[in-house]
Amino acid sequence: MKYKELCNMLSEYNINVIEQVVTLDFDEALEFASSRYPVAVKGISEKMTHKTEVGLVKLGIKNEEELKSAWNEIYGKMEGAEPEGIAVQRMARKGIELIVGGREDVQFGPVVMFGLGGIFVEIFRDFSLRVCPISERDADEMIKEIRGYPLLLGTRGTEGANIQEIKKLLLNFSDMLVEKRVNEIDLNPVIAYRDGYVVVDARVKE
Amino acid sequence: MKNLDCIFSPKSVAIIGASRKLNKIGNVITKNFIDGGYEGDIYPVNPQADEILGLKCYPSVLDIPRSVDCAVVVIPAPSVPKVLKECGEKGVKGAVVISGGFSEIGNHELERELVDVAERYGVHVIGPNCMGVLNPRSHVDSIFLPMYKLGRPRVGEIGFISQSGAIGGCIVDLCARAGVGMSKFVSYGNASVIDEADLLEYLAYDKETQIIEVYIEGVKRGRKFMDILKEITKIKPVVILKGGVTKRGAEATMSHTASLAGSAEVYRAVFKQCKAVEAHSLEELFDFAKIFYQPKCRGKRIGIITNGGGTGILAADSIERNGLELAEFSDKTKNELRQKLPEYTNVRNPLDIAGDADADRYQAAIETVIEDENTDFLVIIVLFQTAAIDSRIIETIVRANEIRKKPIVAIATGGEYTEFHKRILDSYGVPTYSTPSAAMRAVAEFVNYSMFVMNSRRG
Repeated sequence: MKYKELCNMLSEYNINVIEQVVTLDFDEALEFASSRYPVAVKGISEKMTHKTEVGLVKLGIKNEEELKSAWNEIYGKMEGAEPEGIAVQRMARKGIELIVGGREDVQFGPVVMFGLGGIFVEIFRDFSLRVCPISERDADEMIKEIRGYPLLLGTRGTEGANIQEIKKLLLNFSDMLVEKRVNEIDLNPVIAYRDGYVVVDARVKE
Repeated sequence: MKNLDCIFSPKSVAIIGASRKLNKIGNVITKNFIDGGYEGDIYPVNPQADEILGLKCYPSVLDIPRSVDCAVVVIPAPSVPKVLKECGEKGVKGAVVISGGFSEIGNHELERELVDVAERYGVHVIGPNCMGVLNPRSHVDSIFLPMYKLGRPRVGEIGFISQSGAIGGCIVDLCARAGVGMSKFVSYGNASVIDEADLLEYLAYDKETQIIEVYIEGVKRGRKFMDILKEITKIKPVVILKGGVTKRGAEATMSHTASLAGSAEVYRAVFKQCKAVEAHSLEELFDFAKIFYQPKCRGKRIGIITNGGGTGILAADSIERNGLELAEFSDKTKNELRQKLPEYTNVRNPLDIAGDADADRYQAAIETVIEDENTDFLVIIVLFQTAAIDSRIIETIVRANEIRKKPIVAIATGGEYTEFHKRILDSYGVPTYSTPSAAMRAVAEFVNYSMFVMNSRRG
């Protein structure tokens, strides 16, 4: 599945994806960016899924000159890798990084995973898991079950997240997994705010 | 739902592969039925014998003159499909195939033959490659371990489904020793016809089973298992121990989800989602099961009565560690305690009624705290080692347990004298633990489940 299709599928299930354009046409990228600086630029290729590690992500691009140079650098790195496009995205403001994922289990079918992004899932393995479809109570328990839950409520002056919106995200995502049956999928990161959330990147393996 | 009464409460049993030779499985099982007091008809089947253990023996199941509800099959694997076919022709409703040598050693072809025959004749088959079935009430006992080596539990409320014969046997033996009762036990082996979902469903509707225990390494029908589990836990607690290699997601997968959420994690998620109680060890499987016959409670405030300060403090520590709360006794309770107990008693929770407390003082403390409006659960700690404690304490605790006013557990730590009394308490249905930490882990699981059931009933 192409990145664009994936983003469309997410939108179809009322999952908020960051405002972006995915294109190989620089003029189109420029037009999108001109009214939205600062922007993020990301190379999209099915052959290069670890974007950050290979330098396909440039953040905080402030003007046309920076956009041009980021574009050229990323374009160069993707040579021969059948690029689908370069995504130019509105920069997401700082919030709480989440990861929401799914996979197909041979015995129980689609499962949905929820956790705080970055070191929380990777080092502390702090995540919750349920078999789809999930109920509202399941979604609620998934959110409260992780050890990092207090961060979502907001601590020491941080704004926290909108639990109700995260719940909706998990329920919509679960519906999508049940109907679309994808093999593996990560929404990572999802950035959560007091008034909502936005999916900033996503990967899928059919 | 598949009606498995033919397996658990048959009116007549054929033992195919019954033997005269001491310690052969076919001999042990026949003996179990006879010595165990099974009241139905027993038909040994063996073409090489006329009589086994005083019972007339038949060359084949087809030669038995009367109807047969259940066949216990203990012959070499290659002959099993043929014999099962004869059972089908005879109209036998259920069969427990003890024999091994099927899919577990890669012999899938033979197992398919067995399944085909079972399906063609509609025979409910437990196994193959299983340890058998036990029903203390009907005295059905096809467990191939001799009674002098593996104890049989009294009639009770726990129904136990085990994929493994070894684990099943250990728990049965432990229950027998501890005085904990069982309603039904089945080791179901390869689950090629009757699987764990069928057994769960049967026990869900079984009036004699109040608590279900499960040991699994994997399931045959994941979704079906889940659907049934979710329904049962609304009416009966299910305690599950999942064994098997903790196969985590492969490291090389593309996504975080797949690398974090392997099959072991998914099982854990299923248990949580279905509100089953997960045990993490054999001890927990045993410890958790016996607490669930207590009356449900609405809260997690624990009252402790003890005749030893230190054990009370350790219990209080465990309360906190397990997410429970130490109850704050009401003024009414405190006043009453002040009147009933010696004046040097500090009437706060944990309530230390001192090393010279006898059964009467326990009685006074228990009847007051059990009425306390701020206490949801009562923990009674007894140091049986003190001079003042004698066997009368058993009666005091059992009486408090039998009025079923509030859930109760007892904690008794010590050697032979203590263990002896602990067994008596357990056999009267008072869940009794050897350490505060083991007790509180069980209490926490009980309280969480109670609150789930109470809340979902209210909602």
